[in-house]
Amino acid sequence: MAFNYDQYLRTDKLPTLWCWGCGDGVILKAFIRAIDKLGINKDDMCIVSGIGCSGRFSSYVDCNTVHTTHGRTVAYATGIKMANPDKHVFCIAGDGDGLAIGGNHTIHGCRRNIDINLILINNFIYGLTNSQTSPTTPQGMWTVTMKRGNIDPTFDACKLAEGAGASFIAREKVNDPRKLEKVFVEAFKHKGFSFIDVFSNCHINLGRKNKMGSAMANLDWIDEITVSKKKFDAMSEEERKGLFPTGILKQDEEALEYSAMYEKVKEAYQNNTKVEL
Amino acid sequence: MSKREVISSGNDLAARAAVDAGCRFFGGYPITPSSEVMHTISDLLPKVGGACMQMEDEIAGICSAIGASMSGVRSMTATSGPGISLKAENIGLAQIAEVPLVIVNVMRGGPSTGLPTRVQQGDVLQAKNPTHGDVRTIVLCPGNLEECYTETVRAFNLADRFMQPVFVLLDETLGHMHAKATLPSLQEVEEGIQLRRQFVGDPEEYRPYDVPEDEPAILNPMFKGYRYHYTGLHHGPTGFPTEDAEVCDRLIKRLFNKVDAHTDEIESYEEYMLDDAEYLVVAYGSTSLAAREAVNRLREEGVKIGMFRPITLFPSPDAKMKELQQRFGNKVYMAELNMGQYVESFERATGMHRDEFVTHFKANGRPISPADMVAKIKEELL
Amino acid sequence: MKKGKKMSLMKAPENTPVWTDESRCKACDLCVAVCPAGVLAMRPDPHSVLGAMISVIEPDSCIGCNECELACPDFAIYVADKKEYKFAKLSQQAKERAKKIAENNYMILGA
Repeated sequence: MAFNYDQYLRTDKLPTLWCWGCGDGVILKAFIRAIDKLGINKDDMCIVSGIGCSGRFSSYVDCNTVHTTHGRTVAYATGIKMANPDKHVFCIAGDGDGLAIGGNHTIHGCRRNIDINLILINNFIYGLTNSQTSPTTPQGMWTVTMKRGNIDPTFDACKLAEGAGASFIAREKVNDPRKLEKVFVEAFKHKGFSFIDVFSNCHINLGRKNKMGSAMANLDWIDEITVSKKKFDAMSEEERKGLFPTGILKQDEEALEYSAMYEKVKEAYQNNTKVEL
Repeated sequence: MSKREVISSGNDLAARAAVDAGCRFFGGYPITPSSEVMHTISDLLPKVGGACMQMEDEIAGICSAIGASMSGVRSMTATSGPGISLKAENIGLAQIAEVPLVIVNVMRGGPSTGLPTRVQQGDVLQAKNPTHGDVRTIVLCPGNLEECYTETVRAFNLADRFMQPVFVLLDETLGHMHAKATLPSLQEVEEGIQLRRQFVGDPEEYRPYDVPEDEPAILNPMFKGYRYHYTGLHHGPTGFPTEDAEVCDRLIKRLFNKVDAHTDEIESYEEYMLDDAEYLVVAYGSTSLAAREAVNRLREEGVKIGMFRPITLFPSPDAKMKELQQRFGNKVYMAELNMGQYVESFERATGMHRDEFVTHFKANGRPISPADMVAKIKEELL
Repeated sequence: MKKGKKMSLMKAPENTPVWTDESRCKACDLCVAVCPAGVLAMRPDPHSVLGAMISVIEPDSCIGCNECELACPDFAIYVADKKEYKFAKLSQQAKERAKKIAENNYMILGA
C-alpha cells in the first residue's frame, strides 16, 4: 500500500503551480503525512498562508484555507485560533513573508506562545517575485536587487524564535523528508507556538544565478550548510561558522500556552476573581 | 422590555453595543482617542466567552479580527485615523473576500500624528476609499451618544447582510463625551440580530462565491464540514484564484452591485425641522450637535431653518440630496470638521459647486461652536 | 494519536514495485537522482514542458527504499509496500547503472 495523498488534496488543483523540483511539494507531502499520522480531521484544521510561492500551499489542501496578505499569516491565524481554541491552526510563510514584512507578527506569535504551527519555508530568496534578496539570502550571492553580490547580512531564524519565546523550535530540510515528517509530528502535537524553519530549494530563482541551477545542486548546497544538532553542539565556534543545526532545537512542554491562558481570563471574569497562571 | 437609561461615553457605548449585538472577538491596538473601546470590550468579551486581543500593531489588530470573522465569529476592530491608514491593505482583503467586520474609527486631528486628543472629521474620504483598487464601502456616522450604540449594532447586521467591512465613524468629541443616553432594550437588540446567510446543502455542492450578481457571497463558518478557500486575489465561484477576464469582471461588478442594488437597506438620515424650512443646514457626526443648537437658536429668532443629517455617509443619499437641492437651491450652509470632504458627495449629488453655497470647514482640532455657526449663517446665508 | 486511516493508503497495481502518474510528472529528475538502483530514468517526450518524462526502466531492480516517492514534489510516483511486492536487494550492477544514468543527465542510456 502506498500513501494516498489524494484524500487530503484538492486534486482538481494539481499539478501544483510550483516549478519542477521545488521543495514546496516535498514539504506539502510531509505535512500531509504528519497530519494523517496524528489523525487530525480535515474539519478540525485551518491552514493560513501568505504571499509568495509558499502562499499557494494552502490552496492544495482540502480543509479550511486562507490565503492572506504579505506577512500577516500569524496575525490572521491568531484571530482564527483565539475564536476557535480547540482547532488546529497552521501557518505557512516564506522567508520573506515570515521574517521580513511579517517579522513582527512572527515575533509576537512566538512571544505569546499561542498554539499555532508556523512552517517557515526558507529558500533563501524571494521566489515568486523573481529573485529579490530575502533576510536569509547568503552574502555574496547574486540577487536581482544586489546583482554584484549581496551585502545584506542574514540571521538565524530559529534564534529569533527562541529569543521571542517560542516553546518548540526545529529546523529541517527538504533533503530529509522522513526527518521533516517526524519534526512536523512533534511540532503539531506540541501545545504552544511551534516554529519550524524548513530549508528548501529554489533552484530557479536562487540557484540558476548562483551556480546551482538544478534542484539536485541546490539541495547539495543545503546539505553543505546544515549539520545535525548533535554534531553542531560538539563543534567549536570557528567550525560552526556558516552552518545551521537541524533537528528539534527546543521543546518546552511546560511553557504556558496563550489560548489556554486566555481561558483563565474568561474564568476570572465569570467568577469575579483574578487570573491565576 | 423597557429602554435602558445609562450614563456613558461614545467609546464605551460602541463596545457595549458590539457585545450586545453578538460580537465575540475584538482585535486592536491602543490609539488615542479610541483606546477606551478596547479597554471596555476587554472586560465585556471574556465574560461572555469571547476574546479581546490587544495585538502587536494596528495591522495585526485588523488581521486577527478578519481571521476570527472568517472562522464565523462576529468581530470588530477599533482605531483612529493613523490606524486606518495602516489597516488599508487588509481592509481591501476583507472587501474582496467578503468578510463581515465592524471597523470603528474614532476620528482625530490629522494627517499623520496630527492632533491625537482633538476632534476632526478628516477620515471621511478615507472611509469611502480606504484601500487601493475599487471598493464600495458602507460608512455609518453616529451623530449623538445613543447612535454610538445603535449604529454599532446596525453595523454588525449590515456587515453580515452585505458580507463586508462596515465603518462606524465616531470622533474624539463623541468618543469621549460622557452623558446620558437612552438605549434600546437588550431584548430589542437581540431580536434584531440578523446573522450572515449560510449554505445548508451537501458540502460537495457548496460554491461560496457562486451567487447572483446583486448578492453577497455565502460564507459558512469554518470547521463545520464546509471546507473552502479564502484569498485576496481575484477569485471565481469556488473562491480559488483566477485571472479569467470574464470571471474577474463579474466579481468586481458584483462587489459593487451587492451594495448599490440595496441602498434602501443601508440608507439612513435625519431631517430636523425641515418641514417649513427655507434654509438648509447640512452636518453629520458631532458637528451636527452644534448645528442642531444653531438651528434652534435661529428658529427662536424666527428664521425658518432646518438640518439635514446623513447618518449613513456612504453609499451617499444622492436622491435625497438632489431633492433637497431642488427645494432649497443654494440656500445651504454645510459645516464639517475637515477641509471639505463630505461636501464632495453633496456637490456631486446636487450638481452645485461649493462656491455657490455656504461652507464652513475647520481642521485644527477644534469644534465649530453653535455661536460661530449662527454668525456665519447670518453673515453669508441669510 | 490515531494511526493512519486505511483510506489514506492505496493498493499497488498487480506485481508492480513502483508506478508513476505521468499527468503529474514535471520531469524534475529528482526521483531519478535519488534512486540508488537505476530503476528510473527520463525518456525524451516532445509533449512535456521540459521535453522529458519519467520512465520505470528496470522495475526488477527496485529495492523498495521509497526515496523516489519521498523526493517527488508532485505526487507523481508511488511505491508498493513489502506485503504487496517482493523487492530486490541492491546489486552492484544496479548501483553502476544509477551512476551512469546520473552522468547521462538522468536520461535513459542510449536514448
